[in-house]
Amino acid sequence: MVRRMLTGNAAAAWGARLAQVEYVPAFPITPQTEIIESLATWFADGTLSGKFVTMDSEHSMVTAAGAAAATGVRTFTATSSQGLVYAMEALYTVSGWRVPFVLVNVSRGLSSPITLGPDHNDVLAARDAGFIQIHVETCQEVLDSVLMAFRIAEDVRVSLPTLVNLDGFFLSFTREPVEIPDAKLVQEFLPAFHPQHPVFSGSQSLAQGVAVLDGATYSYFRYQMHRALENALEVHEEVAEAFSRLFGRRYRALEEYGMADAEIVLVMAGSFATKGKAAVNRWREQGRKVGLLRLRMLRPQPAADIARSLIGRKAVGVIDQNISPGLGGILYQEVSGALASAGERVPVMRSFIGGLGGKDISQGEFDWVLEALDGAKPSDGPVPCQLLFTDAEYEQVRMALSIAGKSQGGTAS
Amino acid sequence: MRFHGRGGHGIKTASRIVGTAAFLAGYEVQDSPIYGAERRGAPVTAFTRIASSAILERGVITQPDLIICGDETLLESPASGVLNGVEQAAALFINTRNLEAIRAQGKLHVRMVALDITQRTSDRIGKASALSVGLGAAAARLSGLISCEQLGEGVRTELEELGLDAPMIEKNLLLAQEVYAELETVTVEPRKFSATAVIHKMGYDHVLLGTPSILAPGNAEARQTGAWRVERPEIDYDSCTRCGLCFVHCPDGAIALDEQGYPVIDYDHCKGCLICLEQCPRHSIRSKKEVRSW
Ligand code: SF4
Ligand code: SF4
Repeated sequence: MVRRMLTGNAAAAWGARLAQVEYVPAFPITPQTEIIESLATWFADGTLSGKFVTMDSEHSMVTAAGAAAATGVRTFTATSSQGLVYAMEALYTVSGWRVPFVLVNVSRGLSSPITLGPDHNDVLAARDAGFIQIHVETCQEVLDSVLMAFRIAEDVRVSLPTLVNLDGFFLSFTREPVEIPDAKLVQEFLPAFHPQHPVFSGSQSLAQGVAVLDGATYSYFRYQMHRALENALEVHEEVAEAFSRLFGRRYRALEEYGMADAEIVLVMAGSFATKGKAAVNRWREQGRKVGLLRLRMLRPQPAADIARSLIGRKAVGVIDQNISPGLGGILYQEVSGALASAGERVPVMRSFIGGLGGKDISQGEFDWVLEALDGAKPSDGPVPCQLLFTDAEYEQVRMALSIAGKSQGGTAS
Repeated sequence: MRFHGRGGHGIKTASRIVGTAAFLAGYEVQDSPIYGAERRGAPVTAFTRIASSAILERGVITQPDLIICGDETLLESPASGVLNGVEQAAALFINTRNLEAIRAQGKLHVRMVALDITQRTSDRIGKASALSVGLGAAAARLSGLISCEQLGEGVRTELEELGLDAPMIEKNLLLAQEVYAELETVTVEPRKFSATAVIHKMGYDHVLLGTPSILAPGNAEARQTGAWRVERPEIDYDSCTRCGLCFVHCPDGAIALDEQGYPVIDYDHCKGCLICLEQCPRHSIRSKKEVRSW
């Protein structure tokens, strides 16, 4: 075991390296090229044996990953934002084949307008594609999650592709100390892939992804996929336990931070949760009972755990780093849904949108959110989602608009 | 700590040298560069956070303890953000030989520390633009958290990763030691960060405003890319034959022809790529290192 400074991108590449991936189809897109660059180097110098192939698009790349996995080789690939969306058709197609591989996505805001900052609309657009989704907070968690993702994906109870999501810039370009696990221990944790379901091979005839053309058969296979995803919760628990025995770090589908006696709870996903934890600590120092729930596993949704964790709290605020225009925050809806099916209510639920396109969420903004939650009452009536965006930022944007020749028009009242 | 410089100066590597040195010294560390759609000469920023316990921060640093400015000309450019949060910083380090001139302006109310890193880099390694080691060493020393040996380890690790050969690394190590020895630690007082945010209640703006379109034609002119220049092309009109080749080849349209057909450089927008110099058949264009005192 060595501890080194690694970016999130490098940590992802190290995860794939330690998993001894045998096939990597790639299409270069910034800012994930460092993942692909590192892997290309390792395949070229013999550190990894197998095949590294550059494709003509993410659509082909994901199709190739699925096809390779269908032959029973351990497959890894990575993309980012527009690339993931471009691959959308293929995501649905390959998950339907029930083939295990790992896809890393570097989250960035979708066009248009064009930006480079982190934002979860890309990965959440893929939330219904039948991939397991793990959203990470630190560079260490990137590496660990890639290893865990292979074991979950390859488990015969699951047999589905798994997506590990890390935030652009905040993790992808950011270096942190990362423990690189010992290769021997990794082999113990993640032995070579021996598929237990039929795979393409020279001696066995097999048709994959066939046409069914009737609703009943289609329903059967789609629901089987749902069941397989549900299984991934239990499998994740087992895998996380095995991982912690070997490497000492214990991951859960949900991470609870300062939750023991918390009355006000922030719900977040991804690397911005780190900043949320700082806010929790500051409020705790003043004796305020505040906690944070981080959604690590987005698919399958750990609905029962979400309900168990949140029911009994006075106020819950979900900070979504995404926006479904015309609806609001996507995770707010997901968390509300988990609570609704539990049959109990949290008196105050509020939706906040923050960090779109990588906009900072300052500690001042966290304070504003926590104060809003503290002062909220169930009798307030319907409250729309609130964008975390300051007066000063609005002034800045108006200034840019006037340079762009758009000072006319004004605010419609 | 926050590092500022221009693309090609080694700003990211400077932040990594301090980061790696602090990591090897046993601290928790986070470092990251931020690029736009950058190119050589455009402002670049990088960040290093060092703590004795877990770092619960991410992204850009708006309230740095130390600001390390690799290029004094950035002080003039508000867009580069060098002076964001300067009032509360423990020190602003500037790579300059003109500290007195900067002080005389009386604009900055912060402890200023200066050293001519460019000169020392040029003397030691013969390449004035490779500022990473000098700036990293300055930051390490000012922070008071890193010993000279640990700094050396940081320099070695990062330069090896970049593929530099052993003699070059040795020269850089000497440079690091020299800069380290010439500066003193500044006291960084622990402080509480308080920021209040006034949240905007955003309504619907007219579609003219609320769409990412640009109506003002030619507004790129407002962006004075001349500040990106490291080298300044100068035309010797005595030997210039008015052939116009420089005018044709300038990729930025920064050369105009005057009434007599002589080329005139628009220094507000010339980025200093020196393509004009390469193209001039008469060798009538010379380059000078850009020195702008603040
Ligand atoms: S250096 Fe010469 S070619 Fe380059 S931008 Fe300036 S004037 Fe144009
Ligand atoms: S290329 Fe040289 S000689 Fe020709 S116009 Fe330009 S400066 Fe004059």
